[in-house]
Amino acid sequence: MATERYHRQVILNGFGETAQVLLSKARVLVIGAGGIGCPALQYLAAAGVGSIGIADDDTIALSNLHRQVLFNTDDIDKLKVRIARKRLEKMNPEIEIISHPLRLQRENILTLLKGYDFVLDGTDNFESRYLINDACVLLGKALIFAAISGFEGQLAIFNVADKKGQRCNYRDLFPIPPQPGEIPGCTENGVLGVLPGIIGIMAAAETIKLITGIGQPLINQLLHYNLLSHDQYKMTISPGDNYVMADNENDFLKMVDPSFCNLKPGYNEIDAEQLIILQKQSTIIIDVREQHELPILNDEVYKKAPMTEFPIFLDSEIEEKNIVFICQHGIRSILAAQATQEKYGSRKNIYTLKGGIVKWRNYFI
Amino acid sequence: MEIEIISFGKISEFIPRQKIDITGISDTDTLKVHLEKAFPQISTMKYKLALNEKLVQNNTLISGNEVVAIMPPFSGG
Repeated sequence: MATERYHRQVILNGFGETAQVLLSKARVLVIGAGGIGCPALQYLAAAGVGSIGIADDDTIALSNLHRQVLFNTDDIDKLKVRIARKRLEKMNPEIEIISHPLRLQRENILTLLKGYDFVLDGTDNFESRYLINDACVLLGKALIFAAISGFEGQLAIFNVADKKGQRCNYRDLFPIPPQPGEIPGCTENGVLGVLPGIIGIMAAAETIKLITGIGQPLINQLLHYNLLSHDQYKMTISPGDNYVMADNENDFLKMVDPSFCNLKPGYNEIDAEQLIILQKQSTIIIDVREQHELPILNDEVYKKAPMTEFPIFLDSEIEEKNIVFICQHGIRSILAAQATQEKYGSRKNIYTLKGGIVKWRNYFI
Repeated sequence: MEIEIISFGKISEFIPRQKIDITGISDTDTLKVHLEKAFPQISTMKYKLALNEKLVQNNTLISGNEVVAIMPPFSGG
């Protein structure tokens, strides 16, 4: 086992061959081969984690490259998991790399997680994060949670018993997922490439500590890291009592988060309050009523695209990340959202105002 | 008496690090009401408080000189 490859870490006081053997036997699933996932994968593979899974359904885009350091310019449009696996296999052919080119869903996550002992969450949205958390709780899998916002990162280990036998999970921190648009992600908010790099490597370090039993991993703790000041703030998490978890697979499959229950059709119904939040981001609001319908709204704020001409409108490209459709009662706007979703898939966040202008009249006039 | 407030992520954009006078505030529930009144933006957001580096799960007494952290969830990756 003591190959030259791992020599420098094996000779480390407090690590040694025993720790190296533990690494070689570990099975780690990294979910999301993005800004956090790429550097985490590189260091886990280099350190000799025996079996590494990569789950992601996305392809590589030019705007990924400043932070997703496993990918080259000529990899654009290729599947992330395929390229990541190739790169990592070249870097360390002594370990097993498994790619899972799929979008995690309630129906497939349990099967996927069962093949691994440790899960590193580097995804970029709350729906995935809550799904991964809930699945890890059900299956009793250790979860290394890493997330970023602006110039800051959050890091925690969930589902691992501390010295008192207590296990915490993400819902102990935030029992209910945020509404769409409530907390902006990197697409709207921007991100400096090195931040997910730092947080991703910190997550890899926590994974290695957890596997080998060295140091004090962040079990039941949440670490905040600020890139601009290098300030770190560590807090202790304790179990909350205001949520209910599934205790068997059937119940898990039936779990519904109200914040996400409208995500299934590919668009979300929102209210005027959420519309106001979205207006502060990269958002286009499209009024699909016909020209003659009252009240007439300011067309600088509410772009006009009547349903009768909607196919022509849809031929043009929308630049904004968020697209909100409005109409008189919130019915035609659903049709517009469905048609737009067929065009853009998950590349855009598509919303429709529930109840329409009539319901939120005071907001519009 | 006063406490120190620190905040993270989006919340730090409108609640900078500061000391606040807590006259009339004796627990974290009352502090929440005070904060949401003083900074209405957080009333529409999910956030959690930590008192002296411990997550606040239930209403907790504040005696002064504590550090209270206000944190939103992060999802970026």
